[in-house]
Amino acid sequence: MYEKDGERYFVFDSHLHFWDASPENWVKGQEQYAEGWINCFHAYMGLAPAETHWPIEKFQKYSVEDFEKDVFKAGHVDVAVFQSTYLKEWYTKGFNDIEQNAALLDRFPGRLILNGRWDPREGEAGLRQLEADHAKYGIQGVKLYTAEWYKGSRGWRLDDAAAVPFLDKCVELGIKNIHVHKGPTIWPLDKDAFDVSDVDHVATDYQDLNFIIEHVGLPRIEDFCFMATQEPNVYAGLAVVIGALMHARPRFFAKVMGELLFWVGEDKILFGSDYAIWEPKWQVEGFVDWEMPDDSEYSDYPRLDVSGKKKILGLNGAKLYGVEVPDELRLPVPADEPASPESAVGVR
Amino acid sequence: VTLRSRVLAELGTVYDPELDEPITTLGFVGSCVVSAGGDVEVRLRLPTPQCAPNFAYLMAADARAAVRRLREVREVTVVLEDHYTGAEINAAVGRGDGFEAAFPGETAGDLGALRRLFQRKALVAREGRLLAAGPPPSTLGELSGPDAQRCRELRRALGIAADDDAPAFVTGDGAPVSDFVRFGRMARLTALSLDANGGMCRDLLRVRYEEEEGVAA
Repeated sequence: MYEKDGERYFVFDSHLHFWDASPENWVKGQEQYAEGWINCFHAYMGLAPAETHWPIEKFQKYSVEDFEKDVFKAGHVDVAVFQSTYLKEWYTKGFNDIEQNAALLDRFPGRLILNGRWDPREGEAGLRQLEADHAKYGIQGVKLYTAEWYKGSRGWRLDDAAAVPFLDKCVELGIKNIHVHKGPTIWPLDKDAFDVSDVDHVATDYQDLNFIIEHVGLPRIEDFCFMATQEPNVYAGLAVVIGALMHARPRFFAKVMGELLFWVGEDKILFGSDYAIWEPKWQVEGFVDWEMPDDSEYSDYPRLDVSGKKKILGLNGAKLYGVEVPDELRLPVPADEPASPESAVGVR
Repeated sequence: VTLRSRVLAELGTVYDPELDEPITTLGFVGSCVVSAGGDVEVRLRLPTPQCAPNFAYLMAADARAAVRRLREVREVTVVLEDHYTGAEINAAVGRGDGFEAAFPGETAGDLGALRRLFQRKALVAREGRLLAAGPPPSTLGELSGPDAQRCRELRRALGIAADDDAPAFVTGDGAPVSDFVRFGRMARLTALSLDANGGMCRDLLRVRYEEEEGVAA
């Protein structure tokens, strides 16, 4: 919970990590990729305020105590979603697999939500694993990396036929939040790596599932916006948008927010810190303080008021995951209006 | 005018196909060495080791082709540094081979379609900037300045009429724009996407190479 100027904000961080990218965890013969990956993440940290930068050694592997301090104590986060990221071709024990993440659940009861993952290229065994993960952890969501390498394949698409049984399984088990990372290096290599058209197809076919597009399809934000505006079950994940732009490129940040508010709307945008790339503290505080610039270039963008910030920072995400929000942190329901599903955030 | 400055001018005609900016102003040319005998070595550097191989290949191949246009130049070597597919790309570019030869079995065709897709995006983005500047004229001849000039180049590359009498604003498919409100919104967003993307690339490049100044044309 974060309090500023008498307003209290429930903070739901829909996207963070607890990873191990230390050299001990690099796969033999794949060291250059393991090192390149974490160095690339570390470069992104360089876009944050200088006083929040970490040395590479700490960035490769940070402690549970660091996590607790940065996220829950200093970072104002009430509830956070762990996105599992395997990358086992490069990291022996995985970058942060579901077992690693699960180890933290007992330590922070009620504060962490564990998401799983699947990969259609694993076929029947992958389906059984998804069932097992659901049975063991009751997962409500998954994070999908369509660009992940797997046995010579450099990636996959959500509208591949092989993905159908997995999406069906998600519907069957009630795994309703599908976070999709749109990243580089998808196969085939001669196509646009950030293409979001596969999401468009499955969002139409699977109306019961929510598709949260992490990093809002950056750098193809235009394709993402044109799609999201037509698909009611497509959401914008703000991880990277705040972290990479709010401090380093404030004018771009304002325009990106303006476009997201126009095309996607404040009810379908979710805060995500992408910790440990960026600490939540400066992102939450900066976002609460942020205002659309007051000059003509920004004049026809929608404005974001306190209630919109409350939705984006916490209430929207809490609703998707059925997290109960204390009464005093919800938005007030006007007396002359019947309660709508929107005002019943977290009450199920 | 030295040969090196002419080489740099040629490199200035090579655009990042995704950002629609010259590789020289983006800082992607890390060094450019011209020997007394006219051999040229250009080293390219990108914001991350994982930048998309397809765009990386296009820039390296375009850079080599641009420098080879100069008659006084002898051997041309273009090296993509610190990239996870650098070895494959450098070998294919050095042989004058296409992208599919660099990654056998991992592509489904050449990069022409990808390049055209981004030329269309770039055209719409440039038009978005022009529309933001004032009320739209009806013919291309009434537009001037760098964005208008680049629009003409992109339209020619895409086979869209680019003479002075042609419509000032066209969609990515070449159809004259009719609904300027809707097109303007989409074009502005496309321009923002390119600008934000370019900004992030610059930031990451700066963080990655810190004090090492690139070579500007």
